[in-house]
Amino acid sequence: MGRLWNYMRRYRARYAVGGAALFATATLVMAIPKLTQMSFDVLAGDLPSDEKLRLVSGYALTVIFIAISQAVVRTWSRTLIFNAGRDVEHDLRGELYDHLLKLHQGYYQRQRTGDLMSRLVNDIGAVRMLLGPGFLTFINTPLYCVYAFTLMMWMDARLTLAAVVPFPIVLVYMRRYMKALMDASVRTQERLAEMSSFGQETLAGIHVVKSFSREEARARRFMELNELYKDQAMEVARLRAKIFPAIRAVSSLGVLIVLGLGGYEVVHKRMTLGALVAFMGYLQILAWPIMAVGFMIALWQRGKAALLRLDGIFDIEPGIASPASAYSPDTVRGNVTFEHVDFSHDGEDTTILHDITINIPAGTTLGILGRTGSGKSTIANLPPRLFDASKGRVLVDGVDVREWDLEKLRGAIGVVPQDPFLFSTTIARNVSFGSPNLSDAEMAVALETAGLGTDLADFPSGSSTPIGERGVTLSGGQKQRLTLARAVARTPRILILDDSLSSVDAATERRILESLDDLRRGRTAIVISHRVSSVIRADRIAVIDDGRIVEQGTHAELVQQGGLYADLWQRQRLTEELEAMA
Amino acid sequence: MAGPAPEPNTGGMAAEAPVLGTRDLAMVAGMWRYIAPHKSLFVASVALLPLISACLLVQPWIIKQAIDHCIAAGTTDGLGWWVLAYGVAFAAEFALLYWQTVITMLLAQRSLADLRLAIFRKITSMDTAFYDHNPVGRLVTRMTTDVDVINEMFAAGAITMLMDAMTLIGIIVIMFMLHAKLTMAAMATLPVMLILVDFFRRKARVFYRLIRDRIARINSYLQESISGMAVVHLFASEKHMSAEFGEMNSAYRDANHWSNIYEAALFSIVEAVSAISTAAILWYGAHLVIGEPTSLTSSTVAGAVGFGTLVAFMEYINRFFVPVRDFSTKYAVLQSAIAACEKVFGLLEMEPKLVNPTDPVPAPPRTGTIEFEDVWFSYIPGEPVLRGVSFRVGAGEHVAIVGATGSGKTTITKLLARFYDIDSGRILVDGVDVREWDLRDLRRRIVTVLQDVFLFSGTAAENVRLGNDNISDEEVRSAARAVHADRFLERLPEGYDAPVRERGNNFSTGQRQLLSFARALAYKPDILVLDEATSSVDHDTEELIQDAVARLQEGRTSLVIAHRLATIESADRIVVLHHGVLRESGTHEELMTLGGLYARLYLLQHDEETHPAPARPELVDEIA
Repeated sequence: MGRLWNYMRRYRARYAVGGAALFATATLVMAIPKLTQMSFDVLAGDLPSDEKLRLVSGYALTVIFIAISQAVVRTWSRTLIFNAGRDVEHDLRGELYDHLLKLHQGYYQRQRTGDLMSRLVNDIGAVRMLLGPGFLTFINTPLYCVYAFTLMMWMDARLTLAAVVPFPIVLVYMRRYMKALMDASVRTQERLAEMSSFGQETLAGIHVVKSFSREEARARRFMELNELYKDQAMEVARLRAKIFPAIRAVSSLGVLIVLGLGGYEVVHKRMTLGALVAFMGYLQILAWPIMAVGFMIALWQRGKAALLRLDGIFDIEPGIASPASAYSPDTVRGNVTFEHVDFSHDGEDTTILHDITINIPAGTTLGILGRTGSGKSTIANLPPRLFDASKGRVLVDGVDVREWDLEKLRGAIGVVPQDPFLFSTTIARNVSFGSPNLSDAEMAVALETAGLGTDLADFPSGSSTPIGERGVTLSGGQKQRLTLARAVARTPRILILDDSLSSVDAATERRILESLDDLRRGRTAIVISHRVSSVIRADRIAVIDDGRIVEQGTHAELVQQGGLYADLWQRQRLTEELEAMA
Repeated sequence: MAGPAPEPNTGGMAAEAPVLGTRDLAMVAGMWRYIAPHKSLFVASVALLPLISACLLVQPWIIKQAIDHCIAAGTTDGLGWWVLAYGVAFAAEFALLYWQTVITMLLAQRSLADLRLAIFRKITSMDTAFYDHNPVGRLVTRMTTDVDVINEMFAAGAITMLMDAMTLIGIIVIMFMLHAKLTMAAMATLPVMLILVDFFRRKARVFYRLIRDRIARINSYLQESISGMAVVHLFASEKHMSAEFGEMNSAYRDANHWSNIYEAALFSIVEAVSAISTAAILWYGAHLVIGEPTSLTSSTVAGAVGFGTLVAFMEYINRFFVPVRDFSTKYAVLQSAIAACEKVFGLLEMEPKLVNPTDPVPAPPRTGTIEFEDVWFSYIPGEPVLRGVSFRVGAGEHVAIVGATGSGKTTITKLLARFYDIDSGRILVDGVDVREWDLRDLRRRIVTVLQDVFLFSGTAAENVRLGNDNISDEEVRSAARAVHADRFLERLPEGYDAPVRERGNNFSTGQRQLLSFARALAYKPDILVLDEATSSVDHDTEELIQDAVARLQEGRTSLVIAHRLATIESADRIVVLHHGVLRESGTHEELMTLGGLYARLYLLQHDEETHPAPARPELVDEIA
């Protein structure tokens, strides 16, 4: 909750001026029933007619003057406060985003995107509501209540006390039902969640549903859940119907009392008719703040819960960050070494990598061959520190990656990840994603190297063609080649290809690998694949199985050895033969 | 779950298009189909509206009477009655309002429950191709979020707007009846207000559009950043992303700042005009009151204006501006409900292309034969996956389909039970074209077991039974026993009632497979179509699965996409597919002698099985 005060303090000037403007508005609002009373009193009095008219005209003009100044002050106060709420929202969203940028992959693996989005959209929205309209209501409600109550007491204490009798009663009534309403709302949300996960599951398993002709059975169960939800939603509706009119009834009840008791007093000359009318005016003014009490409670609870959840995210320390006095050399040579590296995800027992030790001298290429699930992709994630080794060390240029300046380290490494993630922007912006100062010529080279040069002509606006949501307009192979171009554009000292050509056909792969040869010269490269053809050109090849290095050597050596590699090599040749038999 | 909820417009006043267009009327007509079955509720809800309005409108009039007849007249005679009348009027108002709300919500909840069910039925009745193109999340949104938005219209929009309109008209009529000239004075500022409100609303609308666009951009940027965080980190682009997001975030804030100004002005103007009207009533009313000095004592004289009238006018003016102020908010709710209706009805209008024949052939006698006659099929037009495939499976015959990835073998399993319709040729089951079968009959005879097992949350037994109560507990148990699923189930504390979590996460791959076999067996199909799973399991489970597959095939025709040597070798016949063409067919021995494709595929497979590593049938697919 400390965060809340921090934000309010940041915009305290606006809140202070806005609050003062609210006070001014309230004062102006309170003057109108008073002026009405004065007009009525004049009219009912014994002054000569023209004097009466002069006075009342004066009062009416004052009301108009008040109405206009009220409009100005009110616009000002609402703008200041609501804008402050938007400012807090802006800062909170920006700070949360910056915080999210720092959090490590381990966090994102455990987190569902939908949940995080809900924090970012709904929870920030709830905080904004609390600090905008909420703040206004928090000031206005007590302000109007105290103001109107004081003025009424000043006019006629007995009548005031009688008129406000319903108020505390309604507050007690509301407290009771508000609690019930909130509980019922929570249950309704749960029922809705139940129903939508049932729908979700049915659709996810639609093949099973259809192959067993179970559509009707699923619909029957859905109908039951639908009914349950409906009943629960009705409970909420009934409670709402009880609460909200009741709140409005309060001021009506007040008017009733004023009309009866006040009327009696006016008849007995203990009060003027004008005062009675003013009383009714104040009760009317009170109706809104009383109605806002429920709104205020709801905003407070929602806002508080949202802030707590957001605090929970802010409290997460980035698990991977640059150390205090980080190693940040001017040049990177590109020697990569794994020393007895074990890896398992936080809090999980399964060890993905066991005792991996490899040295990749600067300027050489290491091929890593393994099947799906062998742990080979995890190896790609360790040098750029997407994850840290659980045991052992990963060194770049002889320095533990955990001692490196993170930006420097990552800047020296170009990774082409297995999943070709692209941003929903243009081709050019995707290529220059990690290299903001990329020249057109450099971009052309990167695209050419990645084998996209010829494809470019097919796009309506060349490299400035938007690729649609995450590249939907591209084929699988094009996506992979674009991610390759993105990595190549950085001309990194260390290039890591993680099974990144799996969707391109064999001929294109060969072409790309050949054009990469130029780039690889003098650079370190790690080429990870399940295809022998991808690693065959490497200086050295490591075969990974079940998280361990089972074989290591050059292509010729490994074929000679007659182990898993030789077997896979044999198999690949058979497959190629099969393919050729079209 | 569904994507992020759209930002609610909390400031209100989000008016959009000026009037209801034909599109909107179409939506109203669509909605009426779901309201019509609950017509009596609708009638009751609407019928209560004028009553509530009347109760509301009579209150200021009672106050006027109390003032003119008693309070200003200096007598308490009858005051009690007027007070009582006022009490009755507002008690009636709230009682009626309560019932009206409850009835409206009942109407809403019932119609919308029907609507949800209709959506559910529609989306489960579509053909397989539909699910390939529509993400699950979006479909669920139609059923939940969109329907909830329509509910908002009932809760806060359409019907109360009708009441507001009645109240507004009622107020004007009553005021005119009380005193026409005073009404004109009180309403003099109204045109000015309408012009000002319109001006500010136009201004605000520009920013509403900006706000909507900008928040949509922010949200998709956020979503993308979160899913692509690894790429952001790998390219050390945090600063660049932060700056880019900062710009969007500020642009959104700025648009909101402007719209806040206009909204606040709009709100304040309505309040101010209401106060100015009060001033007009006081000023002009004073003239009227003074012009008729006797009115204080005898307000019943025609044309006379008493204090009561002034008070009543002030009350009416107050009540007049509340709905005017709320109008835009309610209109915005209505607009988003119409947008939601559009999406929902758009979905409901879709028709599956693959439908049950109108005049299905009566189910032929059970023989269990399958025939593919020159079958051509493509998922994407022009890219055929099967090219003229013909083969026949006799009653009780076991046929294994073998081929490399992309050969089209999995497609065959999807065609037999008619999940897709073929481009040309014929597929016959028991001698009848699958397109002439009643789909339910057809699928009752054929059970397709897919490679990736899908389990529903619930219990193990429920997953075998799949909601078919005709399958007895004993049948569930015996099916489980036959495929060795009993071994692990009976070891669980809850046995057959063991809970299955979402997608069966709490069971191992092998266990999930055995459960899916039990499911297939419990449905006692004549024809079994099995796409053998390639996922690796431990040696013991592997043996259990192999035996279970044999049990499944027993006594029925089977078509198996085979990955296991044992399954292939025990088949009566092997069909070899290559690039969508049936290349070879025969027994294992025959095909080995032929020395063609099969022999090579077998070599691949055989090598693997003799290799010391544990059996990993997926290699064939993965490497190919």
